[in-house]
Amino acid sequence: MLIPCPHCGTRPVEEFTFLGDAAPTRPTTNDPSSMEAWYEYVYLRNNPRGTIDEYAHHSGGCRAWLVVQRNTETHEVYGAVTARAFASRKEAVAKGEQA
Amino acid sequence: MTERTFNRVSPLQDVAVQGRFGADRGAVGVSFTVRHPMSIITVIARAGQGAATAEALKGYDAQWAGPDQWFVLAEGRGEGALYRELKSKLSGLASVSDQSHGRVIIRIAGTKARAVLAKGTPVDLHADVFPAGKSALTQMAHVGVHLTRVDADTYDLSVFRGFSESFWEWITEQAEEFGYQVI
Amino acid sequence: MTSYRLDKGGLIDRESALRFTFDGALHIGRAGDTLASALMANGVRLMGRSFKYHRPRGVITAGAAEPNALVELREGGRKEANTRATMIELYDGLVAKSQNNWPSLNFDVGAINSLASSMFVAGFYYKTFMWPKSFWEKIYEPIIRRAAGLGTASKLPDPDKYEKSYAHCDVLVIGSGPTGLMAALAAARQGKRVILADEGARLGGSLLNEQEEIGGQSGFDWSQGIIAELASLPDVTLMPRTTIMGWFDGNIFGAVERVSDHLRVPDPYEPRQRYWKIHARRAVLAAGSEERPVAFGGNDIPGVMQASAMRTYANRYAVAAGRSVVVFGGNDSIYRTARDLRFHGIHVEAIVDSRKDAKADPGGVHVIRGAMVADAVGGKAVKSVHLTNGMHINCEAVAMSGGFSPIVNLACHRGKKPMWDANLLAFLPPDNGEAFTVAGSAAGKMLLSECLADGAAKGAAGGRAIEAPRCRDEAFAISPLWWVKEARAKAFIDYQNDATAMDLPLAAREGYSDVELAKRYTTTGMATDQGKLGNINAIAILAEATGRTMDEVGTTTFRPFYTPVSFGAFAGPFTGHHFQPVRKTPLHDWAEEQGAVFVETGLWMRSSWFPREAEDWLASASREVLTTRGSVGICDVSTLGKIDVQGKDAGQFLDKLYCNTFSTLAVSKARYGLMLREDGIVYDDGTTSRLAEDHYVMTTTTANAAKVMAQMEFAHQALFPDLDVTYVSVTEQWAQMAVAGPKSRATLQKLMDELVMTDETVPYMAALEVTIMHGIPARLFRLSFSGEHAYELAVPADYGSMAARAVMQAGEEFGICPYGVEALSIMRIEKGHVAGGELNGTTTAGDLGMGKMVSTKKDFIGRMMAQRPGLVDPNRQQVVGIRPVDPSHRIRAGAHLLKKDDTPSLANDQGYVTGVAWSPMLNMWVGLALFANGRARHGEVVQVWDGLRGHLVLGEICDPVHFDKENKRLHA
Repeated sequence: MLIPCPHCGTRPVEEFTFLGDAAPTRPTTNDPSSMEAWYEYVYLRNNPRGTIDEYAHHSGGCRAWLVVQRNTETHEVYGAVTARAFASRKEAVAKGEQA
Repeated sequence: MTERTFNRVSPLQDVAVQGRFGADRGAVGVSFTVRHPMSIITVIARAGQGAATAEALKGYDAQWAGPDQWFVLAEGRGEGALYRELKSKLSGLASVSDQSHGRVIIRIAGTKARAVLAKGTPVDLHADVFPAGKSALTQMAHVGVHLTRVDADTYDLSVFRGFSESFWEWITEQAEEFGYQVI
Repeated sequence: MTSYRLDKGGLIDRESALRFTFDGALHIGRAGDTLASALMANGVRLMGRSFKYHRPRGVITAGAAEPNALVELREGGRKEANTRATMIELYDGLVAKSQNNWPSLNFDVGAINSLASSMFVAGFYYKTFMWPKSFWEKIYEPIIRRAAGLGTASKLPDPDKYEKSYAHCDVLVIGSGPTGLMAALAAARQGKRVILADEGARLGGSLLNEQEEIGGQSGFDWSQGIIAELASLPDVTLMPRTTIMGWFDGNIFGAVERVSDHLRVPDPYEPRQRYWKIHARRAVLAAGSEERPVAFGGNDIPGVMQASAMRTYANRYAVAAGRSVVVFGGNDSIYRTARDLRFHGIHVEAIVDSRKDAKADPGGVHVIRGAMVADAVGGKAVKSVHLTNGMHINCEAVAMSGGFSPIVNLACHRGKKPMWDANLLAFLPPDNGEAFTVAGSAAGKMLLSECLADGAAKGAAGGRAIEAPRCRDEAFAISPLWWVKEARAKAFIDYQNDATAMDLPLAAREGYSDVELAKRYTTTGMATDQGKLGNINAIAILAEATGRTMDEVGTTTFRPFYTPVSFGAFAGPFTGHHFQPVRKTPLHDWAEEQGAVFVETGLWMRSSWFPREAEDWLASASREVLTTRGSVGICDVSTLGKIDVQGKDAGQFLDKLYCNTFSTLAVSKARYGLMLREDGIVYDDGTTSRLAEDHYVMTTTTANAAKVMAQMEFAHQALFPDLDVTYVSVTEQWAQMAVAGPKSRATLQKLMDELVMTDETVPYMAALEVTIMHGIPARLFRLSFSGEHAYELAVPADYGSMAARAVMQAGEEFGICPYGVEALSIMRIEKGHVAGGELNGTTTAGDLGMGKMVSTKKDFIGRMMAQRPGLVDPNRQQVVGIRPVDPSHRIRAGAHLLKKDDTPSLANDQGYVTGVAWSPMLNMWVGLALFANGRARHGEVVQVWDGLRGHLVLGEICDPVHFDKENKRLHA
């Protein structure tokens, strides 16, 4: 499997370490009432058949954390963005939803 | 401040023995040189300062080493001199860390250099996509390598010091079929 | 006549004489031969015994699909079992042995299985050896394993080396026959980077084996011209002897190059094989097609072979499969077989064409229409055939052709299934898009002109095209021919597994009609050839037996590898001392001088102890502790992870990473930190020093250095991207040594250039940048893991050994000694400092007695989850000290702790010992343990139960600090 690293170009999957689903967002509050949200963030993961965004660390390359979008069924890799870009995209979506 | 030098002991001092090794048919396929002592400085731009840092590094031998990150190299500088110079020059722009002793640079040159490197790295080294001056971060034989193409047939391989002996043994073995020389 | 070598022709060097032995008998072959062709030329037809029935077997194919002629090649550490004689290039001095026979190939006792063959029908093992259960492991399995099976592996180490390599190309062409050559040429003329790979020793594919005409020359001559053009282009790589064995995600192809398999021993410095990972922008599969055998009785007797193989032996190797041949099939290719054999002077007795409307043979051979070979007759060689029309023909060999199966394997490795074409009677490859196309006969193009045109088109892929040359086409028309039911003897479907045509309807009757189940039940399609010859016939028989179409039955799953791959190729150079890289500290040379015994810690080599004279490890480590606590010792701690953290928000970032606070740390001071995982469990610990307002240097444990770095990168980039902070590992930049003991200050003072070391200038937890030895930059930390007045001194790595020697010299008057990780571990247990045994991925800060460190004023990783009831339960196991009630007793790490009167059992478990040490200070074994509600139970006497070693002593729970409870020595 090849991963298109935005910094290094296309590299084989052996250079990467996968962490799992990138969809959950770390809660921003430490309020006791948020415990359920924390529990979901730390423990609950979907296991979709089809498209998934996953954290991948280019540990054998530039050491950037990426979010790789791929298909769990066909193994097709659609693309990769930096975790930083993914975070700001998620933030923008969250703000949009609030507004 | 005057630049002072001390007797630096290369971790490959007893390993990289000069001579010709491997297959003994005509000209050697590659040669190896340990570039030591070197000044090697990691420069990482602070938030939003990538372009300004790159600009400030013009005139230095600065190799790409990750997003907004470089290795700045020099030969013949005193202990800590390049580090201090860059720290002062890049103050507020970038973080500067001395890696001069932490990394070892092995230079491989020759017509078979690309074939030797292909035994370790998945990076495509064809000149069309990896021209002289380009650097890549990769892994060879389970060791992290900062790989730079110096010219058509010359590459620098920078590895962590602790792995350098193990890496040296591995890469010279890969060159045996072509015959190699240690300079 | 013992020689079957033809007088002329063939791509062999008749001047050469290569000596080789088969089962000890000496033979002579020619350069260009395979072992199979050389044996045939020498009149050897019997090459092996079959798997189950031990039937005599000879060569069936001339290539990779060979199921029968499997031999043990070479001897000693180079012995290679189950090697296809059809793929072994002959070399001088070759040694091969037949397999699966006892006492000899000619007389094999196991052949009696054949007489009892009704016992050995499909599913026999499952049915027969079910009961009694205990018999399976002890009696049945060993007997079956001895009787059934192929060659034996060598138990000696392989003396040869193997390599791995990567390759990149625009176009990978797999197969160098007419299709592959055209595809490669089309791509190469567009200036593409092309790799042309072929499993054969020579490029040319079928053009080496067949009589063809292309562009007004012989197919062979034409191929040589194309190959020469390709070889002249700088961006074309020709890879003969290279099998593309798998197609993987990302259009990556696995390949094995047999660099030296054609030699007796590899040339010096050459590997035996090289394993390639080829990254191809696109690829063209031009693997050709495989001729199908026909299931008739005795279709495994030596002398029966694929018609195309018989042509290959005659055309390429100048070998006759027999002096008289019957050609049998249901398609037009049988006529070219008869033509080629006659061209070489081999007598063709008759052509048996299953089609009633078969035409006359243009060469005048007698054609028997609408009949089939029911049985081949013979023992160790064919003597005659019985036809379904009652005719009987004497012959030495039978050429059979059931049809042609495109070699679609690679195209199906990523999950798609091939589709049945009822006109061609072949499974055609699935559509995998532009990245991997299939061309030529692998795509069902059965005429040469179609293959050339298809190769040119697929190679060009819409870019600038090239024109295909004119050529002569052979006739192709086919009717179904799978199983001759009139057979009286066994008709084999899968030769290698001895599965017969009868086994498949049986499997269907017994409920295993799904193709995957039938495979497992009958073993059809298993083992080294994976059904290359038999699978399509098996599907046809299964379809008929169950009233389904070929598509409805479908194929079994095609998985890598296309042909067997040696373990050596997979391991590559990463064996022996290259199995993993070795990481040495900058003080390694110094430690070696001091006589260190090293221990592997992850990849690091750490000095473990420094024995003097006849000391064992315990005596050495004890002496090192006594010297250090009594005066001064020096220890290499360079392996601790060191991370340079800089930036405006560096302090804030560390506050996120650690459960305690670093933004408040004063410049020139160090602080111990505890890092949690997001689930609240302790992850790592270490000290972090502040060198400047915006500059910290963090240390991690040796084991977690890389993981912590990755965690930091994740925290910054994914969780807190707004922080202005940078971090980089500087572990290798510094040689770091702990200098500990009451004389540590006096020792180190001698190295300092300017610094006068006092409790004021270097207070406990100081972190200073200094110079030593007349100008060498260094960092001096007043830290203690041993509990002694102690320092850590860091110098740039190239000066490490020099500085350590200087410390030794400075401490000589105090009797300084080096100490290793064993002594370090003793001292940390004496002091109750936690390490890997306690930071074991199950403990909380509270468990470790560090609950008070956990901040409630800030957000940090692990904060919320650490508050969950289960993680703050007072009954959790907490770190305590443990010591034997009787000081002469030994307690052992891993032992479980039980209440004094409980029966030893895990049900009564209260905790366990995480680490022990013989304390030379206390003259007894002391340890640390995790113990339920342990802090409230100091003084309790417990059973220390080591069930594994059968060891039980009484121990007393105590404070984890066994030695110098008041920490007086730290500040002495």
